[in-house]
Amino acid sequence: MEQRIVTVGYGDVKKVNIGGTLPLAFVGGPCAIEDRDHAMFMAESIAEICDKLDIPWIYKSCYDKDCRSSPKSFHGVGIDEGLKILTEVRETFKVPVVSDFSDASWAAATGEVCDMVQVPAYLCRQTSILRAAAATNRPILLKKGQFMSPWNMKNSCRKLEAFGNEQIILADRGTFMGYNMLVNDMTSFPIMGYTGYPVCYDATHSIQLPTSMGNISGGQREFIPYLVRSAVANGINLLFMETHDNPSKALSDANTVLDIKYLENVLYQAKKVHEMRLELFEELGPDNVHPTNE
Amino acid sequence: MKVQDVMITMGNFPVVDVKTILKEALTEMGEANLGLVCITDESKALVGLITDGDLRRKLLKVQKPFSAFFVDDALSHAKKNPIICNPNDNLKEVVQLMGDKQIWDLPVVDENNQLVGLLHLHPAIKKLIE
Repeated sequence: MEQRIVTVGYGDVKKVNIGGTLPLAFVGGPCAIEDRDHAMFMAESIAEICDKLDIPWIYKSCYDKDCRSSPKSFHGVGIDEGLKILTEVRETFKVPVVSDFSDASWAAATGEVCDMVQVPAYLCRQTSILRAAAATNRPILLKKGQFMSPWNMKNSCRKLEAFGNEQIILADRGTFMGYNMLVNDMTSFPIMGYTGYPVCYDATHSIQLPTSMGNISGGQREFIPYLVRSAVANGINLLFMETHDNPSKALSDANTVLDIKYLENVLYQAKKVHEMRLELFEELGPDNVHPTNE
Repeated sequence: MKVQDVMITMGNFPVVDVKTILKEALTEMGEANLGLVCITDESKALVGLITDGDLRRKLLKVQKPFSAFFVDDALSHAKKNPIICNPNDNLKEVVQLMGDKQIWDLPVVDENNQLVGLLHLHPAIKKLIE
């Protein structure tokens, strides 16, 4: 299977190449854009860490959170204000930016500004959303729905391909195990990788306990480093983590975002494990254990 | 008598493209009521073939869930270099070959590697004994 490389970044931002045996890339930021100053502060803080570790990265933050558990939850700053802030982030820090969109009519404007568009997990097989994502002509970060098998993500890829976009990155953000609980099936990475597209691990949503706290989601942040090491060793190309300077006050995903004070530690480990995997690849070649059916 | 005199022409037997998943290929086979499906690339060249027999053997070996099996590319379960014949081949000789190899259907491929038809054993024998 030909391994595709997806390049994120247009104009004069630092382009991020993702896939194959390229260095591990990172995508992260606060779950929701809270306000202009916070976004700029977070981008500056993440940039400092990624520059220090020499990790290519993409700033992620969303302008509209349409899948919150409660009508009282913060919904977002809205598309106009959000895209204005993301524009300032990318122009100031020369970093590619990504936001999801949960309404097909928002896709074009999102793609005008963002270097990559994200398809939310709950909408990963929604044809109108996939058509709109493809039409942006930007790379697409396609989250695997918590209800989807990794092999069935191929159907969503085929939709995007049919709509003319083959710049796809497939992300695992956990799979429902019963109610209010997610698990990571580590075979999802090679299985989604069989499509040829780069694969991403969304660590902070994977440790989410969806709507476990009545009308908000809980989480088990303490497992982030364990799962990140596992996923990176498994062969992911892109690591996704939401981060915040004050998680308990975060306006979205307060129980799952990683405190930025731990970001350098976790990214350092991820980079080291990735490099070790590439060294083993160089030494031993690709995994070649015979399947049971051969 | 030549193969082209009796072969099933394009459009009248199952042909799918390289991106077709196994479930769709099986559906095509069922609709055509034939025990095989041909897989062609963008240039309509034959790149693989799946028969009932191939599937029977796979079913006894495959260990993954059926839902995963169905979404595999049909090509990944196909015979990549099937025995083929040319439209200008002598029908009797080709039928003899099918008997020797115990093949019921043979893809017909022209000089440009284009799939142009399918030789099914029953009409071929019928033609020869007419």
